[in-house]
Amino acid sequence: MKKSIVCLLLALSLCLGLAACGQKQSQEQDQTPQLSGKVTVYMPSPAGLADKLAEAFTAKTGVEVEQFQGTTGEILARLEAEQANPVADVVILASWSDGLSMKADGKLESYTPAGSDKVNKGWIDSDNTLFGSSASAVGVIYNTTVVPELNADWSDLADARYKDMIAIPDPEKSGACKDFLAGLVTGTADGESIMQSWADNGLTVPGANKAALEAVTTGEKGILIAGVDYNAYSSMAKGEPLNIYYPASGTVVNPRPAMILKTAPDMDNAKAFVDFLFSDEAQQLVADAYLLPGRSDVQCENRTNLSDIPQIPTDWAKMMDVASDTAAKLNSLCK
Amino acid sequence: MRQIDLKKNLPQVLLLVLLTGLILCPLITVFAKAVIIDGRLDLYQAWQTIASSENVQTVCNSLLLGVCVVLCSTVIAVPTAYLLARTQLAKHSWLDIIFMIPFMTPPYIASMGWILFMQKKGLFQQLFPATGAWSEGFFCFGGLVLVMSLHVFPFLMTMLKNAMLNIPASLEESGAVFGAGFGLRLRRIFAPLLTGNYAIGALLVFVKTLSEYGTPYTLGRRIGFYVFTTDIHRYSTTAPIDFGRSASLSSILVCICMVMWLMQNDITNRNSYRLVSGKGSRPAQTKLSAAGKIGAWLWVALVVLVAIGVPYFSIISTSLIKLRGYGLAAGNFTLDHYKELLTTPKALSSIWKSLFLAVSSATICSVIGTAVVAAVRRAKGFCKKALEGISLLPEMLPSIVLVIGIMLFWNAIYKVLPLYNTIGIMVLAYVVLYLPYTVQYVTSAFTQINDSLLQAGRVFGGTPSYVFRRVTLPMISRGIFAGWMMIFIIAFRELVTASLIAPPNTLVVSTYINREFEQGSVSLGMAMAVLCVLITTTALLVFNRVTGKEKGA
Repeated sequence: MKKSIVCLLLALSLCLGLAACGQKQSQEQDQTPQLSGKVTVYMPSPAGLADKLAEAFTAKTGVEVEQFQGTTGEILARLEAEQANPVADVVILASWSDGLSMKADGKLESYTPAGSDKVNKGWIDSDNTLFGSSASAVGVIYNTTVVPELNADWSDLADARYKDMIAIPDPEKSGACKDFLAGLVTGTADGESIMQSWADNGLTVPGANKAALEAVTTGEKGILIAGVDYNAYSSMAKGEPLNIYYPASGTVVNPRPAMILKTAPDMDNAKAFVDFLFSDEAQQLVADAYLLPGRSDVQCENRTNLSDIPQIPTDWAKMMDVASDTAAKLNSLCK
Repeated sequence: MRQIDLKKNLPQVLLLVLLTGLILCPLITVFAKAVIIDGRLDLYQAWQTIASSENVQTVCNSLLLGVCVVLCSTVIAVPTAYLLARTQLAKHSWLDIIFMIPFMTPPYIASMGWILFMQKKGLFQQLFPATGAWSEGFFCFGGLVLVMSLHVFPFLMTMLKNAMLNIPASLEESGAVFGAGFGLRLRRIFAPLLTGNYAIGALLVFVKTLSEYGTPYTLGRRIGFYVFTTDIHRYSTTAPIDFGRSASLSSILVCICMVMWLMQNDITNRNSYRLVSGKGSRPAQTKLSAAGKIGAWLWVALVVLVAIGVPYFSIISTSLIKLRGYGLAAGNFTLDHYKELLTTPKALSSIWKSLFLAVSSATICSVIGTAVVAAVRRAKGFCKKALEGISLLPEMLPSIVLVIGIMLFWNAIYKVLPLYNTIGIMVLAYVVLYLPYTVQYVTSAFTQINDSLLQAGRVFGGTPSYVFRRVTLPMISRGIFAGWMMIFIIAFRELVTASLIAPPNTLVVSTYINREFEQGSVSLGMAMAVLCVLITTTALLVFNRVTGKEKGA
């Protein structure tokens, strides 16, 4: 009895050990240049879209996609930690301003992706380093069982009627929320005082985008300020009691930049992946995930189109400068 | 003659080098990172970082939390241990298993369960709408202390219970003969005899609380209560990252833990009594009256309800809810989340990865740990002390510190040994963290072996390796297996290590759950949690069956 167990355990650990060896070997092979069999992409949520894009790219080109999914904050941290030994080829962030600061650090490769003539105006930067293949906008998401009807503007959400009902995604984790706050502070006259008035009205920070939406879905909070729209649309499609609107004074539409790193170990694959992001197939996947497609000729049927979203005038250079400080400030206001 | 000595010592020296590389080097890297700023030693700036008001607040928060959790878990553990050791409840051995459940539950899941239960429009308010906003009072420091105490109290309880069982009835009876009342006996005989063990238990609870990441991350963050671990994690994973800062926080944490160990050692040494001798002794029994019995069962039921009932109700019901917006309502239940879990490759691969990590790290730990214990028993002087000390070090230190050290150290030597960013680094980190378990289990198995058995083996002509294989190994195998099992269970659900050093594309069970909580569906995460608990419980039951049978044979 005892022997057979020992044998079994030994056999099991041997199998697992071999499996691990196999894995390591394949990774080592991948790192040699002539075999260029993979591309490493760091992508933010939604996870479903990232998986589908990876799958479709592999089906089309035969190149394996190694992906790391995380929030914008986690991706940036990972890049920083790996500075000595870069792993990533392509990085997609959910925040244009973070993309711009990566460009300012001189980390990005310039490239003109196929089909760039059809891309929305301004969604590829002047130096051809940031490629906005999709975008999200933030809006006000509310739980219809808590607040049946809502159309308040940003500043109205500080009204006593909404005391302790409002929440916001953590801007240090959600790139979209961070850029919105930066836009609000730089693009409107009283952005800072609006932030303060929300904080005074009991604003809470439940977590990254999805965690914040969760607090509103369960009815713990009634209203989510600066919630990313694609999350709301997909939850609404499932049947959750939610609704979304874009306040009249305007919001920030945030192109999600895909970027090729100068240090990319597989440069050719990286370029092929960026080309693929603007293909019909990938753009359709983007639209299906309730994101705004990067090409102007792709329309979405399941959500508000770009032209119908009121926007705050955005000065990205200015926003990039204040984005991180504004995010930190909001968190300290709500602490 | 000298040559033989060298040959004899070689394994010990090799082990010492191995342990130094695995455990000491990362730790030294942390300290170095904290004091070396921009390439030169800068104690002034290191001190500035440490003394910044934010850090001082974090340190105070952690210490306060540690003390409160020790107090609160004492309140839960002492009466329960007494009931289970000394009253009629002692014969119900299934209670021992029940009380291990809170400890087996991954803390981040249990605290998530509590949050979902207590929050506004949460499960409690859905079940008892009449109570109004009462349950939201849970979201305060007290709630955090309660949840953390409920996780660690089984630890303290088991320790106290075993200590109580070792106090022979004769001591108390002699007290009674000399006319001491119950209260006096409790104060002057019972309590002093337990002080040494209590100090060890309390210290472990304290260190565990300081090192715990899951609960402060889920619940603490929500109430704005930041501690060491959450800050260290934040500085190392969220941009802008600041390893220097997390290293300096880690260094303070290490110092605090070391001071606590010294204090505990002192208390235990001053309060240890030889209670276990060769002579037979019978444990004392208190007969409870009928009312006392009812009270005892009520207490046990209350503890079980709070420690197990609430979180599990919350976890299981959440994993079955279809639409989160409608909560507990007829027709809003589904098994879809489990179906989704078992059909998505990502979920399945995370389970396999966790199993792989748990099995491989447990196996490697068993081999290295047994070798270390065997070497320690043979070694003398410095070698012995160093081996023993280093191998037990990871248990005394918060795991997050070691993980940060491993990250920094292996990144620094990436050019020499490109292990970082592979699954190998995870196995390595797990082995470092869990080595003390094997060492402790095997050491205690060794102490039960009488030397005369080994001498008999040698007298009858067995070579040392033969004696080891046929006499020693079979006798310590149970200790090795117990250590293996313990490591398997803890490694399977490890969160903080996995979230810090997992390479891209690698999700394990804990990070999968965390990711679902943060970016996907809470219900899916809870379904995975249920699956995770089922897997570890099954493993434990199989293990108990197997060892139980061995005993019978």
